[in-house]
Amino acid sequence: MASTAAAPRDWTRRRTAKRERLEAVRPFASGRVLDAGRMRDALQALLRPGDRVALEGDNQKQADFLAEALAGCDPNVVHDLHLLISSISLREHLDVFERGVARRLDFAYAGPQSVRVAQMLADDKIEVGAIHTYVELYARMFVDLTPDVALLCAEQADHEGNLYTGPNTEDTPTIAEAAAFRDGVVLAQVNELVDRVPRVDIPGDWVDLVVESPRPFVLEPLFTRDPRQIGQVEILMAMLALRGIYERHGVTALNHGIGFDTAAIELILPTYGEELGLRGKICRHWTLNPHPTLIPAIESGWVESVHCFGGEPGTERYVAARPDVFFIGGDGSLRSNRVLCQLAGQYAVDMFIGSSLQIDACANSSTVTEGRLSGFGGAPNMGHDPHGRRHASPAWLSLLGGEAPALRGRKLVVQITQTFRSGGTPAFVESLDAIQVGKDAGMPIPPIMIYGDDVSHVVTEEGVAYLYRAGSLAERREAVAAVAGATPVGRDLDERRVEELRRDGLVALPEDLKVDVRRADRSLLAARSIEDLIAWSGGLYDPPAQFRTW
Amino acid sequence: MTSTAIPEGTDWAALLARTSFIELSARARAAALLDDGTARELCGPFDRIESPWLEPQGVVPESDDGVVVVKGELGGRPAVVIAIEQAFQGGGIGEVSGVKIAATLSLAARDNRDGTPTVAVLLLETGGVRLQEANLGLATVAEVCSALLELRALQPVVGVIAGALGCFGGMSIAAGLCTRLIMTRESRLGLDGPQVIESEAGIAEFDASDHTLIWSVDGGTQRTGTALADALVLDDVTAVRSAVIDAVGHGVPGRHRSQRIDELRALLEAVDPADPPEPADLAAVWANAVPPRGDRR
Repeated sequence: MASTAAAPRDWTRRRTAKRERLEAVRPFASGRVLDAGRMRDALQALLRPGDRVALEGDNQKQADFLAEALAGCDPNVVHDLHLLISSISLREHLDVFERGVARRLDFAYAGPQSVRVAQMLADDKIEVGAIHTYVELYARMFVDLTPDVALLCAEQADHEGNLYTGPNTEDTPTIAEAAAFRDGVVLAQVNELVDRVPRVDIPGDWVDLVVESPRPFVLEPLFTRDPRQIGQVEILMAMLALRGIYERHGVTALNHGIGFDTAAIELILPTYGEELGLRGKICRHWTLNPHPTLIPAIESGWVESVHCFGGEPGTERYVAARPDVFFIGGDGSLRSNRVLCQLAGQYAVDMFIGSSLQIDACANSSTVTEGRLSGFGGAPNMGHDPHGRRHASPAWLSLLGGEAPALRGRKLVVQITQTFRSGGTPAFVESLDAIQVGKDAGMPIPPIMIYGDDVSHVVTEEGVAYLYRAGSLAERREAVAAVAGATPVGRDLDERRVEELRRDGLVALPEDLKVDVRRADRSLLAARSIEDLIAWSGGLYDPPAQFRTW
Repeated sequence: MTSTAIPEGTDWAALLARTSFIELSARARAAALLDDGTARELCGPFDRIESPWLEPQGVVPESDDGVVVVKGELGGRPAVVIAIEQAFQGGGIGEVSGVKIAATLSLAARDNRDGTPTVAVLLLETGGVRLQEANLGLATVAEVCSALLELRALQPVVGVIAGALGCFGGMSIAAGLCTRLIMTRESRLGLDGPQVIESEAGIAEFDASDHTLIWSVDGGTQRTGTALADALVLDDVTAVRSAVIDAVGHGVPGRHRSQRIDELRALLEAVDPADPPEPADLAAVWANAVPPRGDRR
């Protein structure tokens, strides 16, 4: 009886490859510990042409020592790598491509390197798989982009490979898990090798190799805003947002984007918000990095909980001293986690509010400007209405929509911006720069940060537009125009139409919200300087040098 | 007089409850220094004396040209406060604003000669001469200095630098001529601003993004610690006002700081530019740098 039995398949090729890689790297290691002085040679032994390599470049911390070693590899030995980098922040991230060590790139954000990314793409130096949001890129690591090698970053390691990340846990556990459980090699640079880590953030049996970096990893204070730079217009918008959105919808769980607009809101909670009697009624639960500008609200009893994507340099002692509010490990320091915080930001909070650089007539919003390919980061994750949500809350239900019987609430997605940005550039435009940038980069869809149909409210110094109440696209455009001031989008709207929109509740001007414009003054800020923030923290906040003016 | 602005064991609640001086507008700062109910603005915005040079260069002018002159009484003595508004053109001095300062100082000197012993207070939040009016601004700074020299021989001229913007450029020379100088720890004083030094001499000479370095050289703590300024105060209306009254109370010295050439020369000679001391050590180095006795006049 002849049967066509398939040739026996080898089901452990990844495991075998991993074993061979670790064998090849053994001359450079003592146990799990690699020799930092021979890092480049170790990487050349570890990596194979065409490997998919996750190089940890998070929103904040960077595996900079490993990035530098990778950029130094001989392209005759290591080439055509496929890199997964969530945030392209360092020069070395792109040097790797310039030198021919890597060829393909999947990423989420390229803030500081956005001009060079656009240029290298135009020069055909990089082949981009896709530009993702943070959680998408991590999700794909568990689907079709599992790393062969993960190059990670932590504060400390012990000799068993247990990693301690300190407050900036960020993305490390997620990438480690994706690699470790499908026979990828996990290699971490650490600031310090210790006998015993204060807390295990990534268990040692997920980690194959560690190396003590000659210098601490790069960590930028991206979420610190100096209150001195907040002006009257930001304060007016903060007052409008507080009355027109937070109070009206009873927003208790929320996320703030980064910028002076939202910092102003954080800083008027203990003053204006207190006066309105809103403490305990709004802003109780946050998914937010430890913004120094939230300290006054925390100290005056507004905030019950804060879960963090990452840490923020300078806030370590303060955060550690407020364990009822923040998520703190047994060692006494913050544990953050970007993926979980993003998940919480999508499904467990009622509102996202963030600044935009450009908004078009339909409320599509973008931070992409000409010549830059900055990617998405996490804003689209936070700035959309997740249709998978089923639990109700008063704020969510206050935007009730859909066709009966399929009624559903909606997340508040708020864009806040002055009608004109510095230098007289209009924030409201006929066509987003993102459209052209997308065309130039050959992207399959325009890189719009937040889709207009997800935006529920727009706040400017003119007032609040309640876009979720618009019955048609035409009405939505009119509501946007009504708060767009003298920009090309706003200047042609008929005054009488604005009156109708106010009457119908699609637009509210300051007087409709009982906001006294004359009170929009810096005296409303609970803290007007970095020193005031230190004072609010009782001396626990320790601002990084670049924020000290003394 | 406080020697450190925010000492250990600070009462944080009291610190937050203070009324910040630098948060006030120039007009409000001037009024806050003077005795209650005595402030009277001269040549105010309704006199509409604007710079004619800004509008052609695309800058919206202001009706006081960024300098506010207020007469009144300070601790019961006739006084005039000249306040520069840092929110307008970075406190930059132009033709009109410079002349306002110079004319005020000259008129105060005339009042003194005519029997009204008027003191002057300069609130110096300024980046120096306004670029849009470069030559005219420079010329008026010379007039300001000349008028200041005239007045300080008769009555104290007190300078106050309160904010992080600092006092730089031509107006830092006026600061150097003041009878006494009051600073906060956030304020800075220097002839060239950090960015100017960096762009002229390179980042190795002075890194304009390095706050620690900048404040260790130009900051109020260092300037008072090395006796280039006289009093370090908290950014607080009451503290600044008391410091100003205290400074006025010291009267006119026998020799002003800027006249003590021998001492200043000794300080310069005590520093080797090729191997400069750490900023923190400068006060100690200078404490030993006394001029030879015979050189004293």
